Amino acid sequence: MMERRNVLKNLIASATLLAAGGAPYGIARLLAPEVKQPKRNYLRPPGALANDVAFVKACIGCGLCGEVCPPKCILFHDNNGGGKVNTPFINPVDKACILCAKCIDVCPTEALTETPIEKVNMGLAQIDRTACYPWVDRGVCGACVSICPLGEKAIRFKKWNQYQPIVEKGCVGCGLCVEVCPHPSTPIWIVDRSEGSVAKHRV
Amino acid sequence: MSLWRHLNKLRWVSLTIVFAMLVALPFLHLYQTYVAAHAYDLLAPDEKRLYDMMETLTSPFVSDPAEDLDNIKGNTWSGTFWGLQLSDPLAVLGQIAAGLKLYWPFFLTAIIPIILTMIFGRFFCGWICPATLLYELNSNFAAWIRWAGFKVGNRRFDPRLKYLVLAIGLVFSAITGSVLVASIYPPAIVGREIYYLIALGGFGAGAVFFAGTLLFDLLVARRGFCRYLCPGGALYSLLGHYRLVRIRRIVETCNDCAKCNVVCEFGLDPLRDNFGQECNNCTACISVCPTDAMTFILSPRDYPKQGPGHLGKKYLRGAQTGDQHDAQTMADVE
Repeated sequence: MMERRNVLKNLIASATLLAAGGAPYGIARLLAPEVKQPKRNYLRPPGALANDVAFVKACIGCGLCGEVCPPKCILFHDNNGGGKVNTPFINPVDKACILCAKCIDVCPTEALTETPIEKVNMGLAQIDRTACYPWVDRGVCGACVSICPLGEKAIRFKKWNQYQPIVEKGCVGCGLCVEVCPHPSTPIWIVDRSEGSVAKHRV
Repeated sequence: MSLWRHLNKLRWVSLTIVFAMLVALPFLHLYQTYVAAHAYDLLAPDEKRLYDMMETLTSPFVSDPAEDLDNIKGNTWSGTFWGLQLSDPLAVLGQIAAGLKLYWPFFLTAIIPIILTMIFGRFFCGWICPATLLYELNSNFAAWIRWAGFKVGNRRFDPRLKYLVLAIGLVFSAITGSVLVASIYPPAIVGREIYYLIALGGFGAGAVFFAGTLLFDLLVARRGFCRYLCPGGALYSLLGHYRLVRIRRIVETCNDCAKCNVVCEFGLDPLRDNFGQECNNCTACISVCPTDAMTFILSPRDYPKQGPGHLGKKYLRGAQTGDQHDAQTMADVE
């Protein structure tokens, strides 16, 4: 009996010591200046606040957007996302957004705000012309152009009989073209709007 | 016999319905995604089975599953019922703390729960919370293994600990700029994790935390998380401090058997009229009382202390000695 109590006492003491030692580290972590985030490799749902920090502040992680998503493209960050835990994201390679706006309607907070489809800003499709089949003259494709829900003002062929796709300013970055792209290296990709629709240094 | 004693059964029904809805909604969502895909032939065999089952279950009620089944969505953290959006007050508070500003439309979704809490106190904890169902089953399980001869924890801590947890949770939410209280709040975790498990095919980290709280309840303190640590419980307790619907003891029919104290999951002291802001009106004490000495009152404060029950030994002995005393004084006068 006595022994067990001692073990318990030691256990509690070591736990306390560990907590006391860990606390400064935790506080330092929390007070440390923000490290510049690496480039996002996922999208936020349509209508998401442009500033991702503001988005994380506004999102309560209720999962409603995921629960109404017809293609079930909205997934949720796990704890690896740090403060982003339980916030929604879309990985267009697996499943892309169809711009139905159901998630915008159901979101109880301002995280996803009412936005007309043309004004949605999930990013911009960027094409790597050194990999895309028609651009490197390895065939006729046009998958991205035919799936685009926004049509001509978002993505079009270079000429009516030339199947090289060209992304226009009207693209909102839903990622359907990324999902449908048959090339294994996905030469079409959603990037930040500022990066332009033609890849500059992707080989 | 008062009908109030059946309320506890109703409470179990309510808890079960909420939990069953949380399990059913992800399946319905999966069914909706299959419908929206218009590709029944491409589904895997078990997906087809789910599709057929859900179609059979829902077809009497909905004409267009892709749209009509959207009427009920979400969980207790935030949900929508035919356009009425309801949110947990803690979600609103957590968001205010994270963003350091108030977004009115979101605050309005918590108005109905807040008003109900101000009337019924911590009713959410006892009647709706999906984690409560699991915690109470866990508590019953603890009773069984204690009966089988194993030792279960029954330590007591200061119930004010949870207000500290609430404060720390909100401070951390403010520091990190993310609604972190959601990751230590069992009902939010349970609602979320059930969806993750069924629709997205795997538990998140919240499930591990929740399993930890179950073990804590089992090995350290009975219903320990709800009593001492839950940040939502803390918020509801504060909101329900002046709740109108309270339970009171009828001293005339009380026989001091103390069954109410034993059955109280929150470790309160109904026998001595100590309910306080922690009481969640779960009505377990009403249903267990053998002499029907528990009832409701409408009052912003607890009923004042009434002393030992009139059918109890202590009171009867006191009454006897009192009688003798009276008799003596009468004799003296004569």
